Amino acid sequence: MSELVFGSKIMQLIIALILVSTFMILGSTRLYSCVRAFGIQSFLLASVAGIVAYSTGRYEIYIIALLTLVIKAAVIPYIFIYIIREIKVKREIDLYVNISPSLIIGGVLIVISYYLIRSINIRTELSSFALSASMSLVSIGLFIMISRKKAIMQMLGILIMENGLFLGAISLTHGMPLLVELGIFFDVLIGVLIMGILIFRINKTFECIDTDMLKTLIG
Amino acid sequence: MLIQAGIVLLQVLIILALAPLLSGIIKKIKAFFQIRKGPSIFQPYYDIAKLLRKESVVSENVSWVFHAAPAISFAAILTAGLLIPIYISDMPFDFAGDLIAVVYLFALARFFTALASLDTGSSFGGMGASREMFIASMVEPALMLSVFAIALNVGSTNLSYISQTISMAGIDAVSPYHLLAFVALFIIAIAETGRIPVDNPATHLELTMIHEAMILEYSGKQLAIIELGVMIKQLLVFSLLANIFFPWGISSGFGIGIVISLIVYLIKIVFLGACMAMLETSTAKWRLFRLPNLLSISLMLSFLALVSFIIVKGG
Repeated sequence: MSELVFGSKIMQLIIALILVSTFMILGSTRLYSCVRAFGIQSFLLASVAGIVAYSTGRYEIYIIALLTLVIKAAVIPYIFIYIIREIKVKREIDLYVNISPSLIIGGVLIVISYYLIRSINIRTELSSFALSASMSLVSIGLFIMISRKKAIMQMLGILIMENGLFLGAISLTHGMPLLVELGIFFDVLIGVLIMGILIFRINKTFECIDTDMLKTLIG
Repeated sequence: MLIQAGIVLLQVLIILALAPLLSGIIKKIKAFFQIRKGPSIFQPYYDIAKLLRKESVVSENVSWVFHAAPAISFAAILTAGLLIPIYISDMPFDFAGDLIAVVYLFALARFFTALASLDTGSSFGGMGASREMFIASMVEPALMLSVFAIALNVGSTNLSYISQTISMAGIDAVSPYHLLAFVALFIIAIAETGRIPVDNPATHLELTMIHEAMILEYSGKQLAIIELGVMIKQLLVFSLLANIFFPWGISSGFGIGIVISLIVYLIKIVFLGACMAMLETSTAKWRLFRLPNLLSISLMLSFLALVSFIIVKGG
């Protein structure tokens, strides 16, 4: 069954588009376009869940798809834009690694994830494309967290990792039980809110949200 | 034999006739988005006709390269035109070269234009040449990679064969790598045709022009040939996009079908031109040193296309 779902053309297209949206985040220098790309990625993820729900006919996956759409593609980007607007941060993101090298590293990470997934050898049931895409999302999210200076980008990085885990979970098991999934959504939402408050505090203490500043101790 | 000669002749005529028209149409659409009236879509023909009637003024310090360059670039671009399917997917000249030949025929044209601009010794020429080569060094690998993704899928680098196979496969040909390679090649097309985020075709401002800076010393007939060459190259890049990625409707043999094929081709080309005009109106020109970002996005997309081909097919 899952081979049928994940091997289908439309699924492959959506997963490829998810990777493209990840590259949009890696390749842009503006905070707003990063947030927009994250919104697009979450929307695509919701449609992946929708297709899985349609082909398996399990109603709880519809709920998960709907929750993804509402929370990740609408509420969280809105919180991001609210934070950016409120703390009047400079719209350009500061980088430790420049755009072109980050894009190349992103490509390398995708190849590495593909080889890692292939070596696990669980391809019998599902397309390795979805699984290696989820692995790449996790690693690229991690890379975004360590290569961008703004605290907002660190938030975005961890959300990309979460998106990757979601894609992996839904492609491996057709979604976890609804209760677990609801708990995760709640966690993510609360996590974003707490991180948002933390960013406000960082901004208040240091007058900027550069994580460079956090290394120096303030007595 | 006679039919094949006819096909080739018709192709050359179509290319020569359509190239200025496409330029004019793009200018008109752009004017529409900018709420201007804009010149007539036949203006490029008038421009070329006028330039052909004028005499060329040539600096006395230039060598033969300056005189030969327009002819060589024009010939190289037109030769590439014989390899790219336009209205018929079964090109008689497809034995002579594949898409790698097309890439390097474009490179040859670019090389001689840059060389000629250096030959005059003007500072603008040198600046234009160095910028053009800077962009070319990033465009070429991305172009090669993106067409390789398609060639791998089809199993041949022969353009006629690619076009035929994809047009036969119909909607089944649409796949992640197809889509990714298309987006990558579209970005390349912006750079290859000198459109706005990369170069501004309408500018004569010293600090921003790239291609215009290179041909600044040309006048009269030579300028006409260069301008026509650039328009043809634009048409060919669009044809490459249209007939490799969505060749549906292209005629596979010589016959009455070519009329429909031509109409479909025109619609595709104008559609791509409209997309390009829309993009040009909605974006500002980028700083030269931001361009590597744009082109490395394209490089990465074509790389992603290759990887996803390997994963989907080989996984």
